[in-house]
Amino acid sequence: MTPRPGLIGAILLLIGWQALAMELSLGLILAGPLEILRWLFEHSGLVARALGRTASNAAAGFLLGNFAAIFCAAIAVLWPRLQDLVLGLALAGFCLPLIAIGPILRVLMGPGEGPQIVLAALAVHFTTLAALLIGLRAVPAVWLDLVHSYGRGRFSELWHLRARAALPYLFAGLQIAAPAAFLGAMVGEFTGAERGMGVLTIRYMRALDVPALWSVALVAATAAMLAHAAIGALARKLLREDPPLLLAPPRVPAARSSLLGPVILAIAVIGLWAAAIRLAGLSPFFAKGPAEVAAALFHDPALRDGLMRALGQSAGLAAAGYLAGLAGGAGLAVLVTLRPGAAGFVLPLALALRAVPIVTTGPLIVLLLGRNALGTVSLVAIMIFFPSFIACLHGLRQAPGQILDLFRVHAAGPLAQMLHVRLAAMLPAFFAAARMGVPAAILAVTVVEWLVTGRGLGSLMALAASTSDYRMLWSAVALVTVIAMLCHAGVAAIERRVLGVYAPEQMRP
Amino acid sequence: MPGSEAAAAIICRGLSKTHPGGVEAVAEMDLAFSEGLTTALIGPSGCGKSTLLRLIAGLDMPSGGTVSILGRTPAEQRREGAISVAFQDPSLLPWLTVQQNVALARRLARQEPDPDHVARLIALVGLDGFAATRPAALSGGMRQRAAIARSLVTRPRILLLDEPFGAVDELTRRQLARDLPPLWQGRGTTAVLVTHSIDEAVTLSDRILVLSPRPARIVADLAVPLPRPRPADLDQNPQFRAIASLALAALSCG
Repeated sequence: MTPRPGLIGAILLLIGWQALAMELSLGLILAGPLEILRWLFEHSGLVARALGRTASNAAAGFLLGNFAAIFCAAIAVLWPRLQDLVLGLALAGFCLPLIAIGPILRVLMGPGEGPQIVLAALAVHFTTLAALLIGLRAVPAVWLDLVHSYGRGRFSELWHLRARAALPYLFAGLQIAAPAAFLGAMVGEFTGAERGMGVLTIRYMRALDVPALWSVALVAATAAMLAHAAIGALARKLLREDPPLLLAPPRVPAARSSLLGPVILAIAVIGLWAAAIRLAGLSPFFAKGPAEVAAALFHDPALRDGLMRALGQSAGLAAAGYLAGLAGGAGLAVLVTLRPGAAGFVLPLALALRAVPIVTTGPLIVLLLGRNALGTVSLVAIMIFFPSFIACLHGLRQAPGQILDLFRVHAAGPLAQMLHVRLAAMLPAFFAAARMGVPAAILAVTVVEWLVTGRGLGSLMALAASTSDYRMLWSAVALVTVIAMLCHAGVAAIERRVLGVYAPEQMRP
Repeated sequence: MPGSEAAAAIICRGLSKTHPGGVEAVAEMDLAFSEGLTTALIGPSGCGKSTLLRLIAGLDMPSGGTVSILGRTPAEQRREGAISVAFQDPSLLPWLTVQQNVALARRLARQEPDPDHVARLIALVGLDGFAATRPAALSGGMRQRAAIARSLVTRPRILLLDEPFGAVDELTRRQLARDLPPLWQGRGTTAVLVTHSIDEAVTLSDRILVLSPRPARIVADLAVPLPRPRPADLDQNPQFRAIASLALAALSCG
């Protein structure tokens, strides 16, 4: 893959973009590169200050979330019995709706930088933990035998083997975490910070200042891409190898009981929730524990109906966008594999764009496509599209060479190879992307609803936060988290059944 | 019981192993390995000889019976650093140099660092000048040499070799089988070698145990009274051929 097709593509894109923006009817919603440059030149001080603030919050959250992930991963490896619980709690944290957690943290932590940092940390913790757990397990059994043959145990495994073996995976996780931290910090700023790229986004969104909105989104996206690239460069320098393209392998549940794990996890989450409220001594007006949320959901029909109505509006859009994004990503990956010439053009673009925190450009996309279902669905789809495309493309290339050779010997064409070999090889990557896409879809739909469309769960949570309806807010957080985890578990269950047939080697513990 | 128990370093009593899933790999085996000698275990693929080696090392737990190594359990001996295992895969850590890979075994065995000893062994296995090289830049045979150096660096009393020359080409394999055994033979090290090559077993060992197909039981116990050091053209020796054909006969009717 030479850089040239990518470069030509980028230039064509810029010219096309400028031409579109000069079309009068589109000029109301689309700013061209020239306008953006002029706006940035005129407001360079403002943007620099905002970017500095957001970047420092994102960096603090990045460090916090990743150190926590490293700590959790070490615990999970040293005490394997705790692994399911640690991973489940991290997943619960990842499934929390950021935009409802934002206002709750704002009340808890006051007007400073706290919520932005915590949200940035929450946005990176699970992905890094998942990457690390793969890396820590990517150790051949014979190395473990070597350590055991000298009478050493898990600490030595971790110290001499696993920690070093996990480094490439850690860097791959950190690469994904960099834009995620930026996104978390900006979502935190949406909830009432004083300064930052998120604050500018909200301000220009309200004023419908199109050039400003495009400029801010572009700067945020560029900063996230640079952070992504910088970590990649650091990894290549330190490890002398590219970070692996990250795949989360399927979770193989312990054989004894498939129900015990979720029950323990539920008890742990509810216990931590109740204990946190009790120990922090929070005001009962603001902080609602599990019992109050359960009472609200079961005994307050008005609250429950409102929540269910909003859920109905959001769920349809999120599901449509999620499925469209997955299908689009997998479909394009198949097409690009069938016509390898196209990969040189599409892949660099996709690799660059996957680092864009899509949600922060959400207002633009909805601006372009309209404040309707189509705009929302499209944003969710784009959010899911890039990771699925890259994962599927990687999966298609994992098709075993000898089996492909067998097909070539019998003069079977690319289409036959695709149907009989490559699609099966793609499935593990496809399902890994599908699992990780569940919380992403929920985040995307709630952010768009909150910032732009004013419907559904996102809007309901924002309204509950601004009117101090904390019973509704906590109930919504609980409901969305439970639904996200159930969807995640549902995708994982389908994944286990399908891979059990098509990729049984992935299902070994 | 085959082998004299008086001078036995490793004693297995009623040893059995059934893998999860019900495959019986080793059934009720009594065995003794004499101290200071090299014993080869040969048998058809999948007969359970590697399992037997792992049971002796304590890497797998037996389903029944016991293993005693110099009067203690394998776990106790492993903690003392008395056991070394050379695996079929050289299993060198790719991010460490040859020198660091060899020295790692001393750290794992809680022994004092001994850079001179490490350097001497690297030279003895024929890797002089490659101490600072990483495994990726070595040939298969060189990696195997480094792995043998690593398994010897702790001065183990028990050396377990699981087809250590299995993954290299025939010429290299013959050369390794000639060069490396003198490093542990005649120094009081008790070695158990798993192989499926009859010639390798006769070349390397003092005694050959021929195992039957699964579940493994002993079908022949052959002494190899050939003098050491063993010359390169040993396989032309009539006595060598006689032992080899006895082993082959046992293997065929086992």
